[in-house]
Amino acid sequence: SKRTMAVTKASKDQKYDRQLRLWGDHGQEELENAHVCLINSTASGTEILKNLVLPGIGAFTIVDGHTVSGEDVGNNFFLSNNSIGRNRAQAATELLQELNTDVSGNFVEEVCVFNYEHTCLRLGSVLWNANIPFLVCRTYGLVGYMRLVVKEHTVIESHPDNALEDLRLDQPFAELKNHIQSYDLEGMGKKDHSHTPWIIIVAKYLEKWFSEHNFQFPKNYKEKEAFKQLIRQGILKSEKGTPEDEENFEEAIKNVNTALNPTKISSGVDDIFNGEQCNDITSQTPAFWVMTRAVREFVHNDGGGNLPVRGSIPDMIADSEKFINLQNIYREKAMQDASVVSKHVESLLQSVGKVCETLFCKNAAFLRVVRCRSLAEEYSVETVNKDAITSCMDSADGEMVLYLMLRSVDRFYQQHSRYPGVYNYQVEEDISKLKLCVNSLLQEYSLNVNVKDDYIHEFCRYGASEPHTVASFLGGSAAQEAIKIITRQFVPFNNTFIYNAMSQTTATFQL
Amino acid sequence: MVQLVGSLRKELADSLSACRVLVVGAGGIGCELLKNLVLTGFKNIEVIDLDTIDVSNLNRQFLFQKKHVGKSKAQVAKESVLQFCPTANITAYHDSIMNPEYNVEFFRNFMLVMNALDNRAARNHVNRMCLAADIPLIESGTAGYLGQVTVIKKGLTECYECQPKPTQKTFPGCTIRNTPSEPIHCIVWAKYLFNQLFGEEDADQEVATLENSNTDGDIKRVSTKDWARSTGYDTVKLFNKLFKDDIQYLLTMDKLWKKRKAPLPLDWLEIQKLGKILEVTGTGLKDQQVLGVAGYSQLFSRSVETLRSMLADKGDGAELVWDKDDPPAMDFVTAAANLRMHIFSMNMKSRFDIKSMAGNIIPAIATTNAVIAGLIVLEALKILSGDVEQCRTIFLNKQPNPRKKLLVPCALDPPSANCYVCASKPEVTVKLNVHKTLVLALQDKILKEKFGMVAPDVQIEDGKGTILISSEEGETEANNSKFLSDFGIRHGSRLQVDDFLQDYTLLVNVIHCEDLEKDVEFEVVGDAPDKAPTPPSAQEDKNVANGNKDSAEPSTSSKAPAEQDDVLIVDSDEEEPSSSTMDVRMESGGHKRKLHDAETGEASAKRQRLDQPLAADEEDDDIIALD
Repeated sequence: SKRTMAVTKASKDQKYDRQLRLWGDHGQEELENAHVCLINSTASGTEILKNLVLPGIGAFTIVDGHTVSGEDVGNNFFLSNNSIGRNRAQAATELLQELNTDVSGNFVEEVCVFNYEHTCLRLGSVLWNANIPFLVCRTYGLVGYMRLVVKEHTVIESHPDNALEDLRLDQPFAELKNHIQSYDLEGMGKKDHSHTPWIIIVAKYLEKWFSEHNFQFPKNYKEKEAFKQLIRQGILKSEKGTPEDEENFEEAIKNVNTALNPTKISSGVDDIFNGEQCNDITSQTPAFWVMTRAVREFVHNDGGGNLPVRGSIPDMIADSEKFINLQNIYREKAMQDASVVSKHVESLLQSVGKVCETLFCKNAAFLRVVRCRSLAEEYSVETVNKDAITSCMDSADGEMVLYLMLRSVDRFYQQHSRYPGVYNYQVEEDISKLKLCVNSLLQEYSLNVNVKDDYIHEFCRYGASEPHTVASFLGGSAAQEAIKIITRQFVPFNNTFIYNAMSQTTATFQL
Repeated sequence: MVQLVGSLRKELADSLSACRVLVVGAGGIGCELLKNLVLTGFKNIEVIDLDTIDVSNLNRQFLFQKKHVGKSKAQVAKESVLQFCPTANITAYHDSIMNPEYNVEFFRNFMLVMNALDNRAARNHVNRMCLAADIPLIESGTAGYLGQVTVIKKGLTECYECQPKPTQKTFPGCTIRNTPSEPIHCIVWAKYLFNQLFGEEDADQEVATLENSNTDGDIKRVSTKDWARSTGYDTVKLFNKLFKDDIQYLLTMDKLWKKRKAPLPLDWLEIQKLGKILEVTGTGLKDQQVLGVAGYSQLFSRSVETLRSMLADKGDGAELVWDKDDPPAMDFVTAAANLRMHIFSMNMKSRFDIKSMAGNIIPAIATTNAVIAGLIVLEALKILSGDVEQCRTIFLNKQPNPRKKLLVPCALDPPSANCYVCASKPEVTVKLNVHKTLVLALQDKILKEKFGMVAPDVQIEDGKGTILISSEEGETEANNSKFLSDFGIRHGSRLQVDDFLQDYTLLVNVIHCEDLEKDVEFEVVGDAPDKAPTPPSAQEDKNVANGNKDSAEPSTSSKAPAEQDDVLIVDSDEEEPSSSTMDVRMESGGHKRKLHDAETGEASAKRQRLDQPLAADEEDDDIIALD
């Protein structure tokens, strides 16, 4: 059976090849261990699940008490004519399950949404207390809506864009210092000179600069330019006195600005260190916080105020031997630092689950914690984010008006037990009824904003329809957020996302 | 505000069920698109795709299942959609859209054409066909988390070729043969070697160092394949020739190694003496481990034996086609490339990474395709309601940008007056050496590869109307091996080039030039790459969204013109966040690779992408080796 396991693994590698290149096998493992619950297998719902089943989520459970109607079949790819009259959860589970035999599909026949707002608030509070991420997704006519509700979501691999390298040239650690000492640029042959990694070049000329400038770092533009000039003078000259073509020196000059960036802890990470979760470590504390605390201990006790060394260096012009030696200096230091952190972890707790110290330390500079507001806070008159709403309503055709309209149609539903415009013959009277709902919503929350009549007409015309192509968009976006949350890679949006399919625009708000 | 959907306005709903649309490509975007179209009310859909289904498609191309592997994508997609929506009227073609059967008349059957392609050659072609037929085209692409959609309408918007595409990165042939300095050079070499030994031989893909390589003489020599065959594909002999004798020969050219680190030949026996120690570095999946020299020499030997028997099974004169998803072919390239990297003092790479580079793999996921296909249909609805002005080019970001926008819609730009495709009288100027450029090179490298024609006819504007190239078989083949100057073409000559299939005429002005750079056969004057404001190093693979391997032109069956099927480096850190792959990448030891400037706000995102429009990082296009 060991052999069968190996074969399964190999075939999975092949099937998931194109996505492993995005989130790696540890991300895939998280995905395969995840179990998600879909409430209501609407078109948007099954589109989301499809996009989670294909990449191989561990299991899903659909909760839905509806019976499949002809309308469902019309906009939902995972319900067919044969499913009409059957339980919707069961019918959708069967067809979704066909997409991927690695996934376990389950269903529960249970009606649980009578009233959208009410249901979301109740579910939201239950899940909030259990700290289970809750993603509310909705397609309403030409509007897509997502709301992420999670008390706390921690991200180790946030994959920041344009992150700076962690080179420590301003505060070289002992091993790096020694390594730099081992180079003698003046005494080396031409071939070695032009194959010395730029990091060494910058470090060498920094030493020179220090001695000439009272041990001050080049700080402003002028000094950095002068420093670049200093490096440029180091380029070997030919017999005729013209500078040789030394690409590694050019590379050094190009990298001066980023290489001189002082080593420090970002305010975001500092905030995480100072959070209360980091102070009160108990046996219940999630691994993320134990690790964070351990890294904080490292910073204070061992790192001289700095994070563990990340251990990676960029690719550069150099011969392999010099490059690898330099790379090993950083890598070994990173491993040393990680093992110091792991000692702190041990002294904090006996066991912390399976978080990998090396991965954690490598990403320590990019740790992120996402804290959403609860739905209750969003909906309560006392805690509503009036400022965000009012300021976003400055542009009358921005996405915020769509949010207010969605809240208004739910109010309409509460009063009339149906959505506006669902019956053609009622569209006209629904327009004035919906207008009343808009006004009462604005009044209740004391929002001094203007909603154009156009939007009221438009939303009545939608008749709560769920066009498939909008559901397809939402299904893709929502599944992507779910994957971010499950793999704990990348930072999910916080907390409301609106898509306007007419103008093809999107926005995120913190509500 | 345009009143669309509701459900749909009645007139629009009627026009959807009446109109006929064409979907080019039934891969990642194509599958999603077919589903969205039928569920939006489109009834008459034709879909064309040349490719067959592969296991690695199944993580996103949801109309296919394991049992369909090896079957036609278009056909299976049609059948799967019909299961769910039996009322749709779908026609499937398992064929290349570049086939002459699909002429302008064919394109005129449709109200709208939607591209779901993965390669630039086919995109260029469909662009021209839609311009010629005056049918609106929706162009789209995805790469990892990124995607984009745009609308092309003759006379109203830019066409696909209005913005010059970034240059294809090329490697001089001598770098591949003699002085590799980056892993990619060794990977390209290994793929050439595969073709030389088992596939279709191509003189441009010579891998061996030749005694006569510094003279232009055409000394007769035994082809690599014939030689290998004469040894019975003896793995030890092959090994020693490629990794010892050829390297020793290279060492005799001592001027090559004055400034470079000299290669170190490998000897089969000595390596075997190292024993069966399979040094392994890297943890995790088997594919992501890096074996040692002994391991790769064994893998080399095993894969040669497997490929030899595969070749023998196919019978006399048969050829194998390299395919990254074919395990022995991939093993061979992994082993040969790594051994060569070792010889040239580079750090070896895992099979996983080599596959990325050799197969030009662009990561692809279901979610991005779903989003893009959703956007395409909404643009289609605007076109069919007569609101092309409302259409947008839409970019999908990896995550909301600093202005909190996940999508960035941009108004469509008007056609470029200088476009060599959609201008009223397209004209280009080409610099070349008329005494050294063969008619065949004009046809294949300039007209087909560079200017995207399928079957060009060329007439010299010399007052006599001399026909230089005819697309009719057998008419002008004799000209192929002659130089342009043999036909009186000189500085200032003008050529009228017609592609009847594409209904496209291009006037080519010839500038004679004696001092083109080494390895450069021709230059298009005013072509973007020469004038690019940013140095090429700064913006290499930062571009977006085009080909995922969801295609009408599979690399496995690459016979299409310009199909170099060679190597795109997909190791932009944008695209590959997995730390395990990053680790491996870092180990590439002492070799220069590009830094990436990450995208900032909306404006720059737009700019950057427009600079490198759609086809920017598709699989076949970015890096080719030159001789």
